Amino acid sequence: MSTDATLDPLIHVPARLQIVATLAALPSGDALSFTRLQEMIGLTPGNLITHLRKLEDADYLMSEKTGNGPTSRTSVALTNRGRAALDEYTETLRGMLNGL
Amino acid sequence: MDPREAARLLEQTTRATKREFDYRSLRLTLVAAPVIVIVFGVLWYSVRDQHPYKGPTPAALGVMYTVLALWIAFAASTAKRANEGLSGRSIRQQRAFSAILVAALVGVSVFEGLLKADGASNGIAYGIYPPTAQLIVLGTIGAAMMVAREDWPGFGVSFSLILVATGSAFAGPRGVWLSDGIGCFVIVVAGAIAKAWMDRAPQQTA
Repeated sequence: MSTDATLDPLIHVPARLQIVATLAALPSGDALSFTRLQEMIGLTPGNLITHLRKLEDADYLMSEKTGNGPTSRTSVALTNRGRAALDEYTETLRGMLNGL
Repeated sequence: MDPREAARLLEQTTRATKREFDYRSLRLTLVAAPVIVIVFGVLWYSVRDQHPYKGPTPAALGVMYTVLALWIAFAASTAKRANEGLSGRSIRQQRAFSAILVAALVGVSVFEGLLKADGASNGIAYGIYPPTAQLIVLGTIGAAMMVAREDWPGFGVSFSLILVATGSAFAGPRGVWLSDGIGCFVIVVAGAIAKAWMDRAPQQTA
C-alpha cells in the first residue's frame, strides 16, 4: 500500500516527523534551541539544517537567531500552519490504521 | 515509511519530548518525600514535649534549613536541565511564578514576626501559623501554575496541600507539624504514583 501519496510528504519522513512531533509536544508559544533539538533527534548539524530548511520553506516552522558570534543562538518553533499540518497528518494516519 | 511505523515514531517522540521537559520528574518527587519526612519530623520531635509551647529549637531549625537548601539546589538543577534550550511563554511563566512564590513566602515570614511583636502566643506565631500559611501559599501558587499548564494531576497535588494545611491547623501548635508532615508525604507519594501511572498509560496517537 502506498502511503506517501496521501500522507503529507513533507512530514512523512522519519527525521522530519521527529522534528515536527518534538516541536508540537512543547508547551504552546515555546521555542527550542537548535542545539537541544539536535541532541534530542540525534542528527548531524548539516542534516538537521537541511530538514529544517524544507519545513521552514513550507512555513511549517520558524527560526529565530539571537546574539552574535559565539554567543549566538538559533531557536525553532512550530507555526500554526505546521501544527495544523501535523494534526491533519495524524488524522490521516489514524484513518489508515483503522482501515488496516 | 509504513503507517504503523510512523504512528509508533510519532508516539515515541511525543512521549520522549514531554518526559525531557517535565521538570517534575519522578526522581525529584522521590527526593521530596524523605525531605518532607525529615523536615516535619525533626520540627515535630523538637516541640512534642514542650509545655508551655516555645516553638522549634534552633537545632531543629538548622536541620530544616540545611535540608531545604539542599533540596532547593537539587530541584533548581533538575529544572535547569529540563529547561535547557527552551524559550518562550512557559519559561516566562515559570520565572513570574517563582518571583511570586519568593515574595509570598517572604511576606509570610514578615507577618510571622509582626504577629509575635503584636503579642500573639508562641503557639500561634511559632506553631500553627508558619506551616499553615506557607503551605497555603505554596498550594495556591502551585495550583495557579498547574492550571496555566493544564496539568490536572499537579493541580490536584497543589489543591490537596491547601486542604491538608487548613485541616492540620486544628491539630494545635505541636500536632500541626506531624499532621502536615504526614499529609504532605501522602500527597507527594500519591501524586508521584498517579503521574507514573499516567505516563505509562498507552496514548492514542493514531
